[in-house]
Amino acid sequence: MFSNDEPTIYNLLTVEETKEKKPKAYTSKFRQNVKQEYTSGRGGAKTMGPAKVTAPQPTDYLKKHEKEPQLPKKEEFKYPDDNRKKPSVPKNNDTPLMGLKTTKNFISTNAVENITAVPKLPAKKFADTRNGDVQNLIPSGYEPVFVHKKDFGEVPMYLTKRKEEVARAQEEYDQYISEQIRRTALRQLTYDERQAIIDGLKANWEDIQDQYQGLSVVTDTAPKKNRKERMEAQMKQLERDIELFEKHKVIYIGN
Amino acid sequence: MAGEDDNIDTKDLELERIIGFNGKVQSGLMVHPDREHIVYPLGCNIIIEDITKEAKQCILSGHTNDVTCIDISNDGRYIVSGQETFMGFKAIITLWDYATKKAIQKWELHKVKVQAVAFSKSGKYVISLGGQDDGSVVVWDMVTKEPICGSPAQVESAGITTCLATSKVSDEVFVTGGDNTLRVWTIDKENRKIRPSNTNLGGFKRSITCIEMVDDQVEDMPYFFCGTTTGDILCINKSTNILQFEFPGKDKFCLGVTAISFVKMTDKGFNMLIGTGSGIVGNYNISVCFEKGNKVKTVFKHRSDAKPWKHCESAITSIAKRGAGHQFFVGTDHSQVYKFQFADYSADLIKTCHSCPVNDIIFPFGVAQLILTCQEGEIRVWDLTTGRELRRFVLANKVCNALAISRDGKIVVSGWNDGKIRILGFKSKDLSLELKHVVMDAHNKGVTAVALTTRGDQVISGGGDGMVRMWEIITFMDHTGKKEMRADLRHSMKEHKNCVSEIVIASSDKECASASGDGTTIIWDLTKGSRKTVVFANTLFKSVCYGEDEHQIITCGTDHKIGYWETYDGSMIRELEGAKAGAINFMDITSDQKAFATGGEEKLIKLWRYREGEVTHVGKGHSANISRIRIAPDNRSLISVSEDGAILQWRFPAV
Repeated sequence: MFSNDEPTIYNLLTVEETKEKKPKAYTSKFRQNVKQEYTSGRGGAKTMGPAKVTAPQPTDYLKKHEKEPQLPKKEEFKYPDDNRKKPSVPKNNDTPLMGLKTTKNFISTNAVENITAVPKLPAKKFADTRNGDVQNLIPSGYEPVFVHKKDFGEVPMYLTKRKEEVARAQEEYDQYISEQIRRTALRQLTYDERQAIIDGLKANWEDIQDQYQGLSVVTDTAPKKNRKERMEAQMKQLERDIELFEKHKVIYIGN
Repeated sequence: MAGEDDNIDTKDLELERIIGFNGKVQSGLMVHPDREHIVYPLGCNIIIEDITKEAKQCILSGHTNDVTCIDISNDGRYIVSGQETFMGFKAIITLWDYATKKAIQKWELHKVKVQAVAFSKSGKYVISLGGQDDGSVVVWDMVTKEPICGSPAQVESAGITTCLATSKVSDEVFVTGGDNTLRVWTIDKENRKIRPSNTNLGGFKRSITCIEMVDDQVEDMPYFFCGTTTGDILCINKSTNILQFEFPGKDKFCLGVTAISFVKMTDKGFNMLIGTGSGIVGNYNISVCFEKGNKVKTVFKHRSDAKPWKHCESAITSIAKRGAGHQFFVGTDHSQVYKFQFADYSADLIKTCHSCPVNDIIFPFGVAQLILTCQEGEIRVWDLTTGRELRRFVLANKVCNALAISRDGKIVVSGWNDGKIRILGFKSKDLSLELKHVVMDAHNKGVTAVALTTRGDQVISGGGDGMVRMWEIITFMDHTGKKEMRADLRHSMKEHKNCVSEIVIASSDKECASASGDGTTIIWDLTKGSRKTVVFANTLFKSVCYGEDEHQIITCGTDHKIGYWETYDGSMIRELEGAKAGAINFMDITSDQKAFATGGEEKLIKLWRYREGEVTHVGKGHSANISRIRIAPDNRSLISVSEDGAILQWRFPAV
């Protein structure tokens, strides 16, 4: 429709001027070096007389070993596992510790131990031949083991039976009660019935709405006004009814 | 119902900027003695603005109607302001503490209007002058904050007293002036009396508009200067009450003298700044010499290094010196503020504001930085980041009612009260607004609403006669190869019986909704040009918005209610109580349609959650009826305008 070169309001927006940043001109990293070297080495041969250094002071005389190199202090050598090492084996000229004697009365303690000891149970055995050959009973499998029982770990029969009985009794009781309630209670509207009523109400509302939309804008005569007001009242009533039905999922009907 | 006003969890909207200044108040623009703040009235508020930093503003609100006069005490501790009110009621004078920015005292004694207020020299008294229906002068004691005495301001044969000035020498002396009256008063506190003495003007009959006291400058010349509607200035001796001289003799100032400000004594005499009704600000030297026989010879000359400065087409209402006068501010009737440097006499426009009700605001599509506003015969483009006006389009003696801008930003469509639609474009040279095409006789009783489709080639307009019309803009080349524009009528849809207040177009461009004052909002099919659905309510609809992916519309009107309606069949979804008192004039919805803002005669801006229908934020700050609100496209700010011409920018909160 318009050509693109036409000015727009967006041209009024203040555009921040971004200056293009030029990359810095290249300077060699040796530039300083070169500069220095260029000037420093000059006139090396221009010396006149000895180098100008401060004369040594009499208080600052040369001392013994001053010119020797300063060595670092000696440190004792240590193995890295020194603190983990076992004590060394006794030497052949070491004398063992002599003359140690216990105070324990072995006789009496032994006697007391034996007297108080619980007698040992005989091992469970069985003889399976007439010659009296005996075998160990435990590993043979003749001895019953509790955990190997067939119904080990299961709820005993009497308990389940009792539970069932209780449940049945409760169910019968509930049935009886609900039967009693049903006999005395109100009738509940089923989902389909409720839906049918709502649909019907909506259909009615739409009918009236269609007519209402067809009304003229100007309501100048009394019949027109009455008609409009009547329709508005009807629609309002229907809206209220629809809302009532939609609001409640469960509806009972009294007899 | 949700959305009660007294809901505790509503927060206040944060005000970012006010663009507004009521230039009609005589000497309403003042500089505070601390030299860092200017004080000016805006509707029923007073605004204190920092001039050193980036315009930090502070609002003094407490008046119930438009502020008519302001004065600041010489020590800067107090501000006093008067207002007008409705016939038969008493107008309030409010005393403000400058440091805390709170009202200390409210005085109700004058009827209908307070014409002028002034502090005495050391702030011992406040003197107030009532308006036309009151006609009395009252002196208030600042220590007890009680009135000392009052008296009729003029003799019965004289006209209305309009202005007031206090002496710079003593606390007890002040001067009032008006239509054929000029009196010097002395306060007698012990006897609780004020005593007037009429000045002798000889044969002069003048209506005085402003008084400047210069009685402290020269010992033997305790003069004061009075500007008149005739266009001359009278100089009167305070002690003798005799007219000394008047100037300029023949070449009187056009449209009267409206503001006088004394700057300094020089060797050339009194140096004064004079503002006139024709918009001239001049810096004049008045030298006085006495000849024998009590003859006075005066020489009246403008300073030699500059010419009088001329502002276009509106009166100068206030001249406010900063400090001694090295810099001064000039306020005009047209709500513009200029800053002058005294040394080189150069003027800077620092503030432009709307001087009458703003009828419409719009944002360009997707740009939150610019807004377009319209008042009477002006369309202005503002930059919101700086608060400055960028461009202006003026058409005298017409009123622009509505604006719309195309998405490409190339054309602005405006509806005017002369029944024409004016299509504006931008000049390529300086981007100023220029008229491209006028649709003559678009509507009978003025165009009240316009809207543009997303492509920008179709205009929907609504008129005061209730017609909704669709126009197609066609551009073509004429025989010289110049680009021309034409608007062809596509549909004219006649259903509304009253003026169309707003039109919004759905994003599909296939339907639009129009709100009307006849109590209907109609959704139109734009392809067929017929009505789709109609919404009835017992109200004058003011505004309409699309919401919920354009399946719903929300409306507001004079019945204080916000209605949600289905677009499909026009049935009501819900109704909210939008305001406690007063009509809701306008509403705007965010681009994500999660929240909307309303504003109206309550002078409050309310921000609502769309789905919940709850008020989350309330904006207080307007001093007149809010006429329009727009939420910025970036959802960061909210702009509202009111009938006093103020533009307020609010920070849009996270809803």
